[in-house]
Amino acid sequence: MQATRARGRPGTSALRHLDLTLLLSTIGIAAVGLVMVYSATRQKQESAGLDPAFFLKRQAVFLALGLVAMAIVTLVDYHHIRDYAPVIYVVAMVTLLLVISPVGTSRRGTQAWFQIGAFQFQPSEVAKLVLIIALAAVCAAYRGHLETPGLLTALGLAFVPMALIYAQPDLGTNMVFVGIVIAVLLVAGARPRHIAVLALLGITALVLVVELDMLQDYQRDRLTAFLDPQTDTQRSSYNLRQSQIAIAAGGVSGRGLFQGTQTNLSFVPEQHTDFIFTAVGEELGFLGALSLLGLFGVMMWRIWRAAVLARDQLGRLLCVGVLAMLVFQIFENVGMTMGITPITGIPLPFMSYGGSAMITSCMAVGLVLNVHMRRFS
Amino acid sequence: MTQDSSRLRLAILGMVVLSLFCALLTRLWYLQVLASPTLKVEAQHNSVAVVYTQAPRGRILDRNGKVLADNRVVLALVADREEIEKHPAVLPRLAGHLGVPVELLHERLADDRFSLYKPVPLAVDVPKEKVIYVREHQSDFPGIDGLQLTERFYPNGPLAAHLLGTVGEINDKELGPRKAEGYKPGDAIGKSGIELTYETELRGEPEIAKLEIDSVGRVQRSLGGQPSVQGDDIRLSIDIDIQRLAEESLAQGIDLARRSTDFLTGKPFVATGGSVVVLDPRDGSVVAMASNPTYDPNEFVNGISVRRFTELNDPAGHYPLNNRAIQGLYAPGSTFKLATSLAGLRHGMITPRDTYDDQGSYSVAGQRFTNARGARNGIVDVSRALTVSSDVFYYWLGERFWDSRGRLGTAAIQEVARSIGMGEYTEIDLPFESNGRVSDPAGREKMHKDNPEAFPYPEWYTGDNLNIAVGQGDTAITPLQLANSYATFVNGGSVYAPRVADAVLNREGVEIRTVEPKVLKREDIPASVRSPLMAGFRNVVADPEGTAYGAFAGFPLAQFPVAGKTGTAEAPPKQDTSLFTAYAPADSPRYVISVVLEQAGMGASAAAPVARRVLEGIAAKEGVATAAPTAVNRVLGRD
Repeated sequence: MQATRARGRPGTSALRHLDLTLLLSTIGIAAVGLVMVYSATRQKQESAGLDPAFFLKRQAVFLALGLVAMAIVTLVDYHHIRDYAPVIYVVAMVTLLLVISPVGTSRRGTQAWFQIGAFQFQPSEVAKLVLIIALAAVCAAYRGHLETPGLLTALGLAFVPMALIYAQPDLGTNMVFVGIVIAVLLVAGARPRHIAVLALLGITALVLVVELDMLQDYQRDRLTAFLDPQTDTQRSSYNLRQSQIAIAAGGVSGRGLFQGTQTNLSFVPEQHTDFIFTAVGEELGFLGALSLLGLFGVMMWRIWRAAVLARDQLGRLLCVGVLAMLVFQIFENVGMTMGITPITGIPLPFMSYGGSAMITSCMAVGLVLNVHMRRFS
Repeated sequence: MTQDSSRLRLAILGMVVLSLFCALLTRLWYLQVLASPTLKVEAQHNSVAVVYTQAPRGRILDRNGKVLADNRVVLALVADREEIEKHPAVLPRLAGHLGVPVELLHERLADDRFSLYKPVPLAVDVPKEKVIYVREHQSDFPGIDGLQLTERFYPNGPLAAHLLGTVGEINDKELGPRKAEGYKPGDAIGKSGIELTYETELRGEPEIAKLEIDSVGRVQRSLGGQPSVQGDDIRLSIDIDIQRLAEESLAQGIDLARRSTDFLTGKPFVATGGSVVVLDPRDGSVVAMASNPTYDPNEFVNGISVRRFTELNDPAGHYPLNNRAIQGLYAPGSTFKLATSLAGLRHGMITPRDTYDDQGSYSVAGQRFTNARGARNGIVDVSRALTVSSDVFYYWLGERFWDSRGRLGTAAIQEVARSIGMGEYTEIDLPFESNGRVSDPAGREKMHKDNPEAFPYPEWYTGDNLNIAVGQGDTAITPLQLANSYATFVNGGSVYAPRVADAVLNREGVEIRTVEPKVLKREDIPASVRSPLMAGFRNVVADPEGTAYGAFAGFPLAQFPVAGKTGTAEAPPKQDTSLFTAYAPADSPRYVISVVLEQAGMGASAAAPVARRVLEGIAAKEGVATAAPTAVNRVLGRD
């Protein structure tokens, strides 16, 4: 098509088309996230005699780093990024390999981190973004008709990081990968039956993993707890129940910021990371949680719109990948706190405490802003 | 393809996204709007558990309000039992992080004194960085959390350790009778000293938290309760400055004795320990009470290790946990002559003017009793006999008492000694006091009957009466009894129960209860009896021939007159016990002091210089111009 047309240079001309709505909704969600991280950690920190704002301050630093990363990703033309895709991909795979070597750090039986001073870096977070870029680069070349060779290349590209992450093991992150692959292949023009087969394969694989004892007991407990929340013997279903009670206790208008007793009395585990939405539900109530989901909705709408408006297939697929990644994480994480999806360690984008996820999510939005503001160039 | 196909596929994707959001919204609506009341009700079908948390203890203050026992906030790492069970790797990891053996953590976790509904304190007084690390790496330490705890703290370390006492975990024996007061296993309780005597006042009211517990015993939520109320403060009659001075002087005196030679054996003195007691004779309040060797009560706060406790009870360390002032039993030696003199005057065996010619020895039934070092004191009356410590005068008196036993009974001297508090419980407000004994014929017979092997001789001979007259023999009293007997003498005959505590104060510092002086018994000692003895005691210090004259050389006796009595008690096979007791100002005493040093030689050499240094400090506090206390000096002396 118009692939020969001069590529837009990073500059003021493109910045005029920056999607402010997307940027502002992102910053808005992150701001709510900061407040909720503070609310969820303040009291325990205080009772331990530590700085109550400790987590707040660190999360603010993560957000600042994320915004810088977002700016960089936005300004570099995404076609350049595509050109470097092979290098980026190889570096990411080597990093994933290193993290399961003794260089990496293990926590709770999952070896997924590099310890760098006081901070931890989780390469599987960034790997999501790398996969999106790689998939988009490969599939865009097929111009909307993804035939078998392209399909297999794409699946091969996805297989390597998923195998490495399976070795950590981190089931939740791999589920995000599956979501990304299916969405990108769908829009890239894969045949419907290919998609259907893939979806079936994914489900079968999951069932096999659960049934064939390939998981630690606690992993299986967590994954299946939502199916039977009344079984009291499992701590996972207990967490789940507490999370739901907390959200229900919020009612329509919530208990008020910093007033959540379930949250603050630590009945809900990991409330500043994976269960941050519980704090929102309890303290801000239905109206607050609805508003937050509304903000996420606006964000998803703008990303989807960027995909529709994208100048070329590469940009479109990048946006679709980001959309799939964020939607899957939001649905899985929020659904988990309300008991309709399995418990996995997937963070809520822009809300959960954690540096790697925050920076990755920011870069992902940066990618979309990049595509969106170059739609005319 | 197709723009259309691509758009269609994007539309499908959009629909999927939309439906996922709808699912979330529906669930949210269900939970927060529709089911909210039901779920709330459901949560209330659980049982209620009550969790107690002890209140911070009241403080212990000196007479001027200086804090001797306080509380401080420490960081602790606590564990959720269930979570730990699920993550077996956590405890080893935590043990590595804290540098303690993992068995210790397992032991704490299994300890049934911790409430099932409360996290278990695995480590207390953890450095802040370690707690921060754990909190920051929560996913490495699931079930571990940081918490602030309040614990006992003695800001002055070992100072006044024996008075303040220690706090420890309640044991079954203590718990039994106290269950009704709401004590629980694992509670801290006073184990000794003021901490034990005034446990009820210091304890405060525990926090009571009502928690909702589900059917399998998990905490669902808090139902409120009542906050803790810190215990009341105890103000002591102790003056911490004088206490410090007494402890320092005692330590110096012991150290000095160890560096001096016992000329009888040619070896240094062992000087295994000693004590100093300072009383106010007007009401029995304790101004200072030192015991050496000593210990740091802070070591007991989080439970002392078995190894350290064994160390503290090793005979080689001379039992630092014992409060020698109230538990140590010593033959009083010549300090007992107060009792013999009182008995003689009271029963008319002597008048103040009666004299005896002391030629250095006294023979009875073929046995020769001599003065220390064979000194000859010439013609002495009772006053002079005290000043120069003439044993011969008292041997003579002792024999006359024995000769008059038909009229006065066999224990006339001993009865007077008991009437001023010797050999009997003083009823001080400190636990574990010894009563000691003033030996007499009936007592000896009883001891023989009870244990013929240890005490083969049931008879009491004239020689025994000579021995008791100079404070030797089986008689053994505590340093506090010694001080209290002189206090009784100088105040005219009132035996006070000594008091360490002065008042109970509430949190605002208002006195809510005064610990009133308590007179145990009163026997009038008329001025006619007191005057000649007081003159004798005064000359012990003031007369160049007085036994403590050398020890008080240079002391401002004109501004702050001191009177006292030395004592050197034989304690075979051990070295001599060095004793000195004094009161000041000599004409209207406000302080009585007794100093006892084990295996340290003559009273004048070791104990008197220690008392002198303490009295120097007291004189300075009383505004008498004197240089700051210098070091304790050992002096040559008699008796």
